[in-house]
Amino acid sequence: MNKLGRGQRDKLQQFMLITGASEKVAFQALKASDWQFEGAFDLFYSHPQLRSVADTRHIEELYNRYKDPYVDMIMADGISLLCNDIQVDPQDIVMLVVSWHMKAATMCEFSKKEFIGGLQAMGIDSLDKFRERIPFLRSELRDEQKFREIYDFAFGWAKEKGQKSLALDTAIGMWQLLFAEKHWPLVDHWCEFLQARHNKVISRDTWSQLLEFARTVDPALSNYDPDGAWPYLIDEFVEYLNETSIIQKGKLSEWNYKS
Amino acid sequence: MAMSQRSTIDFNQGWQFMQNGITKLKNILEGTPETQFSSEEHIMLYTTIYNMCTQKPPHDYSQQLYDKYKESFQEYITSTVLPSLKEKHDEFMLRELVKRWQNHKVMVRWLSRFFCYLDRYFIARRSLPALQEVGLTCFRNLVYQDANGQVRDAVISLIDQEREGEQIDRALLKNVLDIFVEIGMGLMDCYENDFEDAMLRDTAAYYSRKASNWIVDDSCPDYMMKAESCLKREKERVSHYLHSSSETKLLEKVQHELLFVYATQLLEKEHSGCHALLRDDKVDDLSRMYRLFSKIPRGLDPVANIFKQHVTAEGTALVKQAEDAVSSKKVDKKDVIGLQEQIFVRKVIELHDKFMAYVNDCFLNHTLFHKALKDAFEVFCNKGVAGSSSAELLATFCDNILKKGGSEKLSDEAIEETLEKVVKLLAYISDKDLFAEFYRKKLARRLLFDKSANDDHERSILTKLKQQCGGQFTSKMEGMVTDLTLARENQTHFEEYLAHNSNASPGIDLTVTVLTTGFWPSYKSFDLNLPSEMVKCVEVFREFYQTKTKHRKLTWIYSLGTCNINGKFESKAIELVVTTYQAAALLLFNASDKLSYHEIMAQLNLSDEDVVRLLHSLSCAKYKILNKEPSTKTISPTDVFEFNGKFTDKMRRIKIPLPPVDEKKKVIEDVDKDRRYAIDASIVRIMKSRKVLGYQQLVMECVEQLGRMFKPDVKAIKKRIEDLITRDYLERDKDNPNLFKYLA
Repeated sequence: MNKLGRGQRDKLQQFMLITGASEKVAFQALKASDWQFEGAFDLFYSHPQLRSVADTRHIEELYNRYKDPYVDMIMADGISLLCNDIQVDPQDIVMLVVSWHMKAATMCEFSKKEFIGGLQAMGIDSLDKFRERIPFLRSELRDEQKFREIYDFAFGWAKEKGQKSLALDTAIGMWQLLFAEKHWPLVDHWCEFLQARHNKVISRDTWSQLLEFARTVDPALSNYDPDGAWPYLIDEFVEYLNETSIIQKGKLSEWNYKS
Repeated sequence: MAMSQRSTIDFNQGWQFMQNGITKLKNILEGTPETQFSSEEHIMLYTTIYNMCTQKPPHDYSQQLYDKYKESFQEYITSTVLPSLKEKHDEFMLRELVKRWQNHKVMVRWLSRFFCYLDRYFIARRSLPALQEVGLTCFRNLVYQDANGQVRDAVISLIDQEREGEQIDRALLKNVLDIFVEIGMGLMDCYENDFEDAMLRDTAAYYSRKASNWIVDDSCPDYMMKAESCLKREKERVSHYLHSSSETKLLEKVQHELLFVYATQLLEKEHSGCHALLRDDKVDDLSRMYRLFSKIPRGLDPVANIFKQHVTAEGTALVKQAEDAVSSKKVDKKDVIGLQEQIFVRKVIELHDKFMAYVNDCFLNHTLFHKALKDAFEVFCNKGVAGSSSAELLATFCDNILKKGGSEKLSDEAIEETLEKVVKLLAYISDKDLFAEFYRKKLARRLLFDKSANDDHERSILTKLKQQCGGQFTSKMEGMVTDLTLARENQTHFEEYLAHNSNASPGIDLTVTVLTTGFWPSYKSFDLNLPSEMVKCVEVFREFYQTKTKHRKLTWIYSLGTCNINGKFESKAIELVVTTYQAAALLLFNASDKLSYHEIMAQLNLSDEDVVRLLHSLSCAKYKILNKEPSTKTISPTDVFEFNGKFTDKMRRIKIPLPPVDEKKKVIEDVDKDRRYAIDASIVRIMKSRKVLGYQQLVMECVEQLGRMFKPDVKAIKKRIEDLITRDYLERDKDNPNLFKYLA
């Protein structure tokens, strides 16, 4: 410890400030990742043991601030307040990322366990830290692997408790949100199609396969395999695109047709 | 001279003696007057050789004698035989050759007898060619070698002449060709190389020329007849003078030039090709076509193809005909299968008979043609007519045959035959499960309304269906037929029970048919408000039934019952045969004179649909038992009804039919539902045994498994797979979304 250089000491301080970790823990993390911040952060957040007990008390205080007066949960009002405090719109997709970290079961409510566990996982024990973490949380959406996890998580989170499938309106809302981040040119057509032709709930399989479709099939459908195992809804979507001449001879038309 | 004392024979002396013998032989052959060899002369000649060979060296002359033997032939051939051949040509040359060859063979035979001793020891010891061989080789080298070309050409020329219809000397040709064979001395190479090859080439060229003319000038049947007779004649040619080994090669060449080369042109000839022959039912020509084309490689494939196209076209035309006939007639009830559709089925059966006869007779039961027929029928048999599927059409057709007074008034044998044929047609229909369901529905009506004409026929067709489609297909239907038999027994017991229990009295004659639920189609049972007369019946029967079994529940289906009611009309009483629903409605008028639509509906507790139907049958149809205000042609909820006392008819007993509700939609719905279960079960079965399977493979196996009953739609299978994923039977593999895993 005494042998730390000036730069390293600075890094140590910064690390402790950002993560709220103790000196010992910060040192461990930085040393293990060769005094690189990125690696150190990753390490820190993926090892729950590194977090100190002191964090928990602060987090509990936060929980109590937002918890509903009648139920031991944070409900819609509490969440509104929280969003206000951290200066984030409740509709902002970053809240989805937050929910993901919390492993929240349903949207618009957090259990005590979820809230505390989530904040710990994100290394947050104060509102300041929360605000500071927001850009990082947003950036997680750009990671391919994490986006997939968040996307898959979103299904279970957005659907009604006890239902197996997701209501269409909710699904469309989620898709709009998610594909604003990860741009998919066909998302509007997809939503139109669902409302015009399907009008029923969305199954989990369809939900997760859609991401696969958006990722692997090019918007002009040139590499779409009609004999593949795509969910039938996606097959029907392709038919719809061809029928309504949105896709013409393998090219995505510049303008929309409303048939 | 005494034989015991042998003095050494000098070579020249000995040879001179031999030479005399040889000269004598030559004279005989030439026809010069000579006496035949006596046995003494024979022995002398033989002995001379013997002696000269067994003398002590240097007087053993075996080698020289061997050489002299050979020279004898060479000399004779060169001096006499060759000149005589060279001065002749063509047929004369051939004759001369034959003669010379015969002579030569005789010469060889005789000389080798004389020189026989050489064969025994000298030749054997020195491994030299035998005397026979030497002799024949001389002829081959000196005569055959040079002459065979000419000979060959002469023979071929004669063959071609015979082909053109001229008479030729067949025996001569046989003899000549025997030379080619014999000169090979055990091998066929001389015959094949020096004669056969050229003959085959010539044959090919000959028929190629002929064919190129015939194909332009002749119709297909004429051409085929010529081809057939050519093949016949060539075959005869082989037996007349060619060597038997030539037969296959010769015929193959002819077939190639006449048939293989021109196969397509022949078949596709505009007005006489395969299509035309089929169209004009030219059975003989088609048989000939089969015979000829079966000989060339892949020759039957195009024929079978044209056959398939023809059958498909004919069948499709029938479909169109039926469609047109139906749409041109004004049909009130579009969902009822009418006469045109029945005619259609008949015609399809006839078509099948006709073309099956072709397959059996013209095409000698060849599998290619069986398949062509099957493929063709599968194409058009699955097209419905006027909105009714082929499955429904077939089921209705059967119903008409099997019901009383059906449109088919045929002898028992004819009925059996027709049923047999219908079942055969079923093999071509992909929606067999749909047929089963329609058939079952109609069977139920026949059985319950006593409309079945003949029990034996009913059982017989079930047996045939079972043979064709398996036991599962017919198990429910068989159950239904058995139920009826049991029901009759049951009724007898019921009547006995009534006789022995005076307090159990229904008040009216009651017949009850008890059905086993699983076998029969599902019927909705409405809670009809029974007239009081009938309520007692139900109770009495229920009590009786309790005495037989306590574990079963009776559900009454009033919609299927019939009732005989006495109508006391003003002029006379008439017995009305109606359904239970209609009877219930009529009995209401015993208590009230006038009843409105709503009152009737309320009292009967039936649905609008049922009430409209039954009131229509009683007031707007043929027999107006009730008067309706206003007396329009349709029932409306504001109508009022009253008993029509003035009704009469010349008959004492009339049947007032209640048209059945359209079952078609329900049947199709039921079948679709069953199919969904069947697809689910099939997918689960497959995945359970394979554990992990790719999408394409899964679909393929599913289609195969279910193919016996219906052709599952790939989209439907996909939907079921997704449903099973949602129900946690299956999951997609995380890395490969085209792969599915079974979740135990």
